[in-house]
Amino acid sequence: MRRRTLLKGLGLSALAATGCGTSIRGSGPTGEDRIVIGFVSPRTGPLAGFASGDSFIVDTVRRTQAFAGGITSGGRKYPVEIVVKDTQSDPNRASQVARELILQDRADLIVTSSTPETTNPVATVCETQGVPCVSAVVPWQAWYFARQADPAKPQPFTYTTMFFFGVEQFGGCFVPMWERVPSSKAVAGMFPNDADGNAFRSAWPDIIEDAGYRWVDGGSYTNGTTDYSSMISAFREADCEIFINAPIPPDFNTMWKQAAQQGFRPKLATVAKVLLFPADTEALGDLVNNIATDSWWGPYMPYTSSLDGSTAKALAEAYQAASGKQWLQTLGSTYSLFEVAHQAFTAVDAPHDRKAVAAQLRRLSYTGISGPLDWTKGPVPGVAIQQPVGVQWKKGKDFPYEMVVVDNTLNPAVPVGADLTPTNP
Amino acid sequence: MIAAIVQGVLVGGTYALVACGLSLAFGVMRLVNIAHGDLAVCGAYLALMAAAGFGAPPVLALVLVLPLAFGVGALLQLTLFERALRGGELAPVLVTFGLSVVIQNLLVTGASANPRSLDGGAFALAGFEVGGLTLSWLRTAGFATAVVVLGSLHLLLARTGFGRRVRATADDPEAARLSGVRVRPVFACVAGISVATAALAGMFLGLMSTFDPYSGGLILIFAFEAVVIGGLGSLWGTLAGGIVLGVTQQLVALWDVRFAVLAVHVLFFGVLVVRPVRA
Repeated sequence: MRRRTLLKGLGLSALAATGCGTSIRGSGPTGEDRIVIGFVSPRTGPLAGFASGDSFIVDTVRRTQAFAGGITSGGRKYPVEIVVKDTQSDPNRASQVARELILQDRADLIVTSSTPETTNPVATVCETQGVPCVSAVVPWQAWYFARQADPAKPQPFTYTTMFFFGVEQFGGCFVPMWERVPSSKAVAGMFPNDADGNAFRSAWPDIIEDAGYRWVDGGSYTNGTTDYSSMISAFREADCEIFINAPIPPDFNTMWKQAAQQGFRPKLATVAKVLLFPADTEALGDLVNNIATDSWWGPYMPYTSSLDGSTAKALAEAYQAASGKQWLQTLGSTYSLFEVAHQAFTAVDAPHDRKAVAAQLRRLSYTGISGPLDWTKGPVPGVAIQQPVGVQWKKGKDFPYEMVVVDNTLNPAVPVGADLTPTNP
Repeated sequence: MIAAIVQGVLVGGTYALVACGLSLAFGVMRLVNIAHGDLAVCGAYLALMAAAGFGAPPVLALVLVLPLAFGVGALLQLTLFERALRGGELAPVLVTFGLSVVIQNLLVTGASANPRSLDGGAFALAGFEVGGLTLSWLRTAGFATAVVVLGSLHLLLARTGFGRRVRATADDPEAARLSGVRVRPVFACVAGISVATAALAGMFLGLMSTFDPYSGGLILIFAFEAVVIGGLGSLWGTLAGGIVLGVTQQLVALWDVRFAVLAVHVLFFGVLVVRPVRA
């Protein structure tokens, strides 16, 4: 028995040794002649809405002179290869494809986008394997603290960076909109018992009370709940006229329909995590009219590409012409991931020097299609903050509902497109 | 408290509506149909297509969807379930599980992963007041439909010649065959009815909330729990099971909404431990 255990142990350690050997060989910077950028996003599955413009963006970026002509790094020109991987909206698969990119495709940099379920596993693999990584479209708190060994004592990351915004920007974006609608100053909060929901629930009450409002918690329900009557009657009893949330889209749909059935019609709904994309609005129909949310990118942004100078408006229009679908906010974020890659590689002497690329990413500051991104001024190291604007879904000309900017408190560079209208008068 | 119970009963009605097809298929054919939830989602997509294609409101789309679903069910029984049922107890579970995966992926390819919803017009958003309670017409209609469907299935099985043949076949297929019952058409009809009720339930779920190609799993879990709690294969039991689930969910939500869905699963677990139901 003991002999067998011993043999097994020996076998395992031998296996581990060979495993280590290949991984060291495999992850070494070998492809000397070209730069490989891996791109991981949820192309299929429940999160596919985030990534529906990604193929278009990757094609567009590949065609730009900056990429098609090769990237000049340290005085030498390298051809660029972009390898695209789909997570199928599954965190386990996300870390698996990140490993594939590192070990098989020998990626020099991995960029990833859309929700903690995608970015966090990819960033974790990159951090442990020592491969530079840029994430986007994930609240920075969910990206930074959730990956810490001890969230109470956070350590900065070496290889992984990101750009987006956090809970404080939601407050900065939504409170000015509430101020413009006369209300009972009672705020109804619908936050589920998940990573995003709990992050918001812990951060919102302070913001709300500082702004002079009263906070009514609907309770931390489970995702997939099919009946919200108890929550809705609590909101009605407390006379809530402002509504905030961060649910998964199907739950918001159920809840919002039920709210209409049971006569809960808040004067202003400022939602997060849902109604970010036109696809979400299809499901709700006219119930989305004048619901407000945050927008970190759109054709109304006065920004231009750092790759070829084309405007945000042109990018959105090109997408609509190519796909026949309405533009979505992640177009800008995905595009910027490749801008950032370009910025980092052109600034270093050797593109395969992972430490140098990672160091360059941490001190990058540039202005591109997502506006100014400055990693030297983030709330924590490795994070650059975007400033979102307040938008409302309003009846559109080309599509049933379109996002219109109604509040630019956080980012005055963005022109306001229409007056704020109460969700329910 | 009363409001919670009433809302719970209404929610339970929708659970029962989804579950009754599952219950019927198990009661008659001993078929545990893992793809039941996905078939319900298919029904919702069909109603969506009918609504988009002919501009028909979802209720009229039923005229088209229900016969189609019945046909699909009968066809699945004749081509797939029949063979699987001959292959022992595990085979139908595996086959329907495979069917579930196939349906989900076909739906993703054909309809994309975008969440969709059926537009029920003003009716779907209207409510009415009864004794201080605000009730939704849609959920009330869902509950009434569940009662009507379960009631007519009960009458069909208990009072008609077809029902007698079904019951005879359910009790002992061999003996039924010896007495002159043609078993294959009977089973095909039952499978057809089962899938048709799934499509009907899917349509109600589509009106109440959103669906996407992957929603079938969650639908199945609640339906399955309603069937098990109510007693496997018993139709009125299924309604009772659904209502127990709904009321539990609402009452626990009054206390702490965090445990509402968990309580439902714990109840299911408790029923399995204390009173394992054998068909």
